[in-house]
Amino acid sequence: GGSAVIDMENMDDTSGSSFEDMGEMHQRMKEEEEEEAEGEAGAAEEEDGEFLGMKGLRGQLGRQVADQMWQVGKRQASRAFSLYANIDILRPYFDVEPVQVRARLLESMIPVKMINFPQKIAGELYGPLMLVFTLVAILLHGMKTSDTIIREGTLMGTAIGTCFGYWLGVSAFIYFLAYLCNAQITMVQMLSLLGYGLFGHCITLFVTYNIHFHSLFYIFWLVVGGLSTLRMVAVLVSRTVGHTQRLILCGTLAALHMLFLLYLHFAYHKVVEGILDTLEGPNMPPFQRVARDIPVVSNAVLNTTTKTVALTL
Amino acid sequence: SAFVPPEMMQQQQPYTGQIYQPSPAYTPASAQSFYGSSFEDEPPLLEELGINFDHIWQKTLTVLHPLKVADGSIMNETDLAGPMVFCLAFGATLLLAGKIQFGYVYGISAIGCLGMFCLLNLMSMTGVSFGCVASVLGYCLLPMILLSTFAVVFSLQGVLGIILTAGVIGWCSFSASKIFISALAMEGQQLLVAYPCALLYGVFALISVF
Repeated sequence: GGSAVIDMENMDDTSGSSFEDMGEMHQRMKEEEEEEAEGEAGAAEEEDGEFLGMKGLRGQLGRQVADQMWQVGKRQASRAFSLYANIDILRPYFDVEPVQVRARLLESMIPVKMINFPQKIAGELYGPLMLVFTLVAILLHGMKTSDTIIREGTLMGTAIGTCFGYWLGVSAFIYFLAYLCNAQITMVQMLSLLGYGLFGHCITLFVTYNIHFHSLFYIFWLVVGGLSTLRMVAVLVSRTVGHTQRLILCGTLAALHMLFLLYLHFAYHKVVEGILDTLEGPNMPPFQRVARDIPVVSNAVLNTTTKTVALTL
Repeated sequence: SAFVPPEMMQQQQPYTGQIYQPSPAYTPASAQSFYGSSFEDEPPLLEELGINFDHIWQKTLTVLHPLKVADGSIMNETDLAGPMVFCLAFGATLLLAGKIQFGYVYGISAIGCLGMFCLLNLMSMTGVSFGCVASVLGYCLLPMILLSTFAVVFSLQGVLGIILTAGVIGWCSFSASKIFISALAMEGQQLLVAYPCALLYGVFALISVF
């Protein structure tokens, strides 16, 4: 009962105009909202009765309350945004000279010999970020030259997702393992180390996406990929104590790093070797049966010839 | 026998109310009392829109002469009309080559500008506005338009194409980094600014070539 009587104590006479009572009203509105959310299904009408003595005014007050909630929410969101999205906290990691970047790039291919005391890792993010973007560009180039078709998604999205996913994901995973194995490394240092380790990947892929010999790729994989992996492993070993821990950490990193290079080569550049070499070769011999251990070019030409003949038939 | 309401029967005389009588001498001079300024006093349309052809021409020349020293103050006013025209022209030249990729051009431009904006804000002492970054990157797209025009007639997939593409990418990124360096006073970091620009223009070149 009591719906015909205006319940004055529930009727807030600030109605949003008084600044001081805003917080209190906001708190009460929030509580009312929480109660409403809980008892939504059944007790809606009862809530309305408790909220205001009179149902008719609810619409108008409700609008004002909604407006206030919006203002408060917007203020809180902008405060949170300015706190967390403040990219100025990343500023020190981008303060580099070109000479430093070049030196670090070259160092990333040279494994250190001294593993008895912790090796210094530059906590810098410019070089790793540029290397990841370079890898994206090389992947895109490789996909375009081999006419790779990505069915679900775009070329650009796939390349960016793969490269950034590897860099951020594997860094986080190895950092977690490092935490478990008690290694002395911070997240930024891990990001920096893995980012510079991608330099070897960039070189390998740049060369092997343009010169299509499998044996050349394997040589580059072992030598260039191996050197950058060895460097990362050596740095991590110098910062970890205990044989088992070193084994776990470095084994995981080495495996992931080398396998990633293998994956990038085979998944993103489907080389149809025969056709490419046919287009480059001046003379296309007719169909002939030749042994497999002849030079790559004519073998590839043979394969192509048989394929085209089979297709036309 | 049509039904006529009785009120209408009484209002047979014509209406001679004087609600509004326009003043007989309506000249532009008297319009001054109604409007703020007259037609002659209004600024020219281009000035109101902020399109300054002389500045556009200066900026275009700065891009086209890679060795010309850039004036840092020309980037103070952000002008997005020029870059918009250049993006459209790039898309149009791609269209002439049979590639309908306006969406890619706009998408890559937007993402690239955002990335450069974040990077430059992190690397420079003074911040930089998004409009300035977009303006500079848009203007430096001009050599890429020349490349895609060339690609309409000749294929870029040979050795000559690779050399030409590399040269144009270098030209674009050199000009962009030169303007950024002079506008943001970042001496000694031109290579560091040029490399991300080269990556961005490299993606544009990929669209032109393939």
